[in-house]
This record gives sequence, C-alpha cells and structure tokens, in this order.
Amino acid sequence: MKIRAIALQTFGSLLRNRLILLFVLGFACMLLLMLTPLLTVKSMASNWSTSQTQGMVLTLVSGAMSFMSGFGSLLAAWSAADAVSTEMRSGTILAVMARPVRRWEFLLGKYLGVQLLMVVYVAAIFLTGYLLAWIGGQGIQSAPWVLLVYPLVRYAIYSALAIFFVTVFHPIVSFGLVLLTSVAASIFAHSNSLPAFVPDWLRAGIYSVLPSTELLSETRFLTLTRASLTSEPWGHHLIALTYGLDYALVCFLLAVWAFRKRSLSRL
Amino acid sequence: MPNPAIEFQDVIKVYQGRFSQQRITALANISFAVAPGEVCAFLGPNGAGKTTSIGLLMGFLFADSGEIRVLDCPPGDIRAKRQIGFLPENFAFYKYLTAPELLRLHLALSDEPRTGEQNLIADLITKVKLQGYEQLKIGKYSRGMMQRLGLAQALLTNPQLLVLDEPTSGLDPAGRHDVLELLATLKAEGKTIFLSSHILPEVEQICDRVIIIDRGRLLRAGSLRELLESANRVEIVAHRLDEELERTLVEHGASIEQTPDQARIVIDASRKREAVELIWSAGFDVIAMNPLKSTLEEFFLKMVADGGGA
Repeated sequence: MKIRAIALQTFGSLLRNRLILLFVLGFACMLLLMLTPLLTVKSMASNWSTSQTQGMVLTLVSGAMSFMSGFGSLLAAWSAADAVSTEMRSGTILAVMARPVRRWEFLLGKYLGVQLLMVVYVAAIFLTGYLLAWIGGQGIQSAPWVLLVYPLVRYAIYSALAIFFVTVFHPIVSFGLVLLTSVAASIFAHSNSLPAFVPDWLRAGIYSVLPSTELLSETRFLTLTRASLTSEPWGHHLIALTYGLDYALVCFLLAVWAFRKRSLSRL
Repeated sequence: MPNPAIEFQDVIKVYQGRFSQQRITALANISFAVAPGEVCAFLGPNGAGKTTSIGLLMGFLFADSGEIRVLDCPPGDIRAKRQIGFLPENFAFYKYLTAPELLRLHLALSDEPRTGEQNLIADLITKVKLQGYEQLKIGKYSRGMMQRLGLAQALLTNPQLLVLDEPTSGLDPAGRHDVLELLATLKAEGKTIFLSSHILPEVEQICDRVIIIDRGRLLRAGSLRELLESANRVEIVAHRLDEELERTLVEHGASIEQTPDQARIVIDASRKREAVELIWSAGFDVIAMNPLKSTLEEFFLKMVADGGGA
C-alpha cells in the first residue's frame, strides 16, 4: 500500500511537471511535422509501386518512432532523476520518510511511478505509429507486444540508471551521466566507430558493462509488410528482455545501496 | 523506571564538504534523555544544531559517533516511526493536493487501517481549524495554514511521540495560542512531545524539561523548575553602601545600582544570606528583599551569552 501510494503520487506529480508537459508538446509537434511528408507520399502514391510506397511510409514511420522512442529515453531519465531530487529539494521527503516507509520502499515507489508515466508514453508512441501508418495508407504488421514491451524495458534501464546516479549526484549531473552512458553504449556497440587504438578486450569489457539498448530497440522489428517477427525466435526475445530487466534491476539495487546512508537534507 | 523515549549518548555529527576539506562540527558529544510523557523543549539559537539533532533522531541523517535511541529503537527504525508524529521545520508538501488528499496519502504511507478514515480526517481538519478549506489546493495555503496542516499530519496516527520542529512558526498570535492549547491537551493525554521553538514564553507554559544547545554543544539539560530555580535571584534594597562593601558584594557576584540614598543589589538566590550578612556586618540596614523569578527566556539568553557557564 505504501509503495503504491508513493508510485501514484509520483505519477501525479510527473503529470504536472512543466518539463514533462514540454515533452508532450514536443511529441505533438513531431506528429504534426510527420504529417506533411506522409500526406505528400499518400498524394503521390498513384505514381509509385506498392512496395515503393510501403518503403517510404515505413521509413517515415520508423524515423518518427525512433525519434519518439529516443525522446522517451530522455523522458525516462529526466523523470526518474527529477522524481527523487524534487522531493529532496522541496523538503517533502522529510514528511514522507517520517512515516514507516523504508528507504528502498520510497525508491521503489518513485521508480514505479516513473514506469507508470512511461507506460502512458509508450502507449502514445504505439498509437502514434499506427496513426501515422494509417494516414500513410498502410498498416503496421509487427506484433504489438514487441512495440510495447521493448521500449518499456529500455526505459526501465534508463530510469533505474538515473535513480542510481541521482542518489549520489545533482539531478542535472545525473541526467548528463545517463546521456553519456547511452551515447557511449551506442558507440561501443559498433566496433567500427571506435578508433583503432582501442583494444578489443577494452571494447568488449566496456560494451558488456554499458546497457546494450540497441538489443532492446523495437524499431528493428518494425514492418509494414507481412510480419517478419515470426522469424525471430521466442528465445531471442526472452534473452533480450531478460537482459534488459536484469540490467535495470542491478541499477535499481545499486540505487538502493547508495540511498541507504544518504542524508535526506534539502539539496 | 521506563526507558527514555529519546536518548542521545555522546553523539557527534560533523559535516564535511564533498569537494572541500572544511569540516563543521554540528554536534559535539551531545547526551540527553527525554522520559516518556514529558514535554521537552529543545532550545538553541539559529545554527545551534537543533535541526541536525532532529534529523538524526528521525533517521534522516547519520551520526559520526555516539548512540541514539528513539522509543527503544535505533533512529529510522520502522517500529519507532509507527509511533512518531513529525512536523519538520518549514513543512512542505505536494502543492496540487488538498488537505484531505494529503492526509489520506499519509494514512496510506502509515499502513493504517482505512476504517473511519473520512471521520478521522474531518476531525483533524476541524482540530487544526482548517475546516472550510478542504477543497483548496495546498499550494494556495498561507504559511500559517501550512503549519496547521503539518500539525494535522503529525497527529494523524495518534502517535506516542511527537517531534515538532518550530510548531508555532508562521502562526499569528491566535494560531500560536491554539497550538499551545492543543499541545497542552496532548500532554494531558500522556504523549511525549519533543519540540524546538524560538518563542520561549510559550514553551515555558507547557514544557517539563529543557535542553539548551549552542554551536553543537549541550549547555544545560534538566527540568524546567530546577533550571529556573537555579537561575532565581533576589533583589536586596539597602541604604547607600560604601565603596568597600560595594566592591566586596560585586566580588560575590552581585550587581549593584546606587541612588543618592539607596542601593539595589541583585544576587543569586543561593547567595542572599551571605549578601545580607555582609551588609549587616558593615553596619548598613536592609530595607527590603524581593525574590526575582527568572523566565525561561532570561535563563536561555544568560546561558547562551555565558556559553553555559551560568
């Protein structure tokens, strides 16, 4: 009950957060921006073959979803950092922690509140993707659960990382560190983007420590033609998602450990 | 004899900057105890270490050394927190909630059974005189209203121990009077109250025990009656004294005001007999002797000025 109360309160606070409202505004702008090329493709569809039209719509929808999905990573990291730090900055944490609430329960409540927000966000991306494809005269063939679960697991990693960092650093520093981690992860994921002097063992070592978010990218499954998902064995999905959840869990446990002896004074 | 409700033993707390070598000793070997059912005033000037002590007591901060026990548990222990009502200094809460929503959230955080929740919340809102503002968002509350709401949340679970950091701050005189009445009622119910305040005449009306700290050091701790008695003085009115006697009395700790025909000598009550004998043996008459009762405020100011040496 305590954790649920904290999670719902966090979700309520995040929905009222001005920066998050800006994210929503950005989301709406993105949708409007994407409408122009989509409608152009639709109006020119009679001049192109079906596969050409599908390809163009897929490129546009995939681009929009990748953008919104990336945006979601920022949202997850910022929301998580802000959810904890705002409580400390305003001093509201004192009244909460004076109740019979354990420190890990407080963090878990905050974390779940952020996940609730991300569920809403992922649902919005999902619906937007379908809407854009429909406007482009196509239908998304990918399995819906992949488009919903993969981003959620990825955001679970980013928010857990941000919660860990914010138990130690200022929220802006924490947000920056999450960004840095995600950029480093994508650099180390492609060995050819690294300078030659970086030895393989170092590359492999850093790659295994950083979150492999490419593995958890839903856009690699996005298709407007017959589902290619059937070719992806269930075992692969299971491994990828377990990896993501495990990574998030480890980050969250690190956050709990760091928060254990943290002074709850105002920032 | 029951165990103390609050116990500090040789507690040391030092703040150190993350990137600097500067160390600030917030508490230096503080020891005191508060018995169950007592109302204890925790006094000290700004920066004395009161909020740090309360932070340690509530488990928000961690002591560098020493031991703290609250209701027989270490600070921050969930069993103790179930029995504590806490009002932080500058109480802050989610501005978009209304008072009943906030109290409901706190009930949920306390794992309290939900039966009679509506009535309990309504009663508390009436008790702290916030009725009529149930629909108003907390963000629109005045400082005094926030303080009243803070008190309501502290009382929400009928706690055994109340830890109140500046409970009357931000309240108008009528509000302060209401809070004092409320505290008196809680005292009568046998609650232990640990409160810090700067409004000493009000504190004096309700507290049993006083702890005074300054710059992290414990200056005095004891029952209010004992402390004030130790600080009581007498005023001796005598015929004008000669210089030699005046010097002798000053050496005995008296302060003297001379008029053309009279002298007003103020001295600690414990030394009144000595002073009178000196006056008589020098051949002067004592005209009157009046007890001067110290107030807590006078005692506190003297303590802080003398660094606890009074």
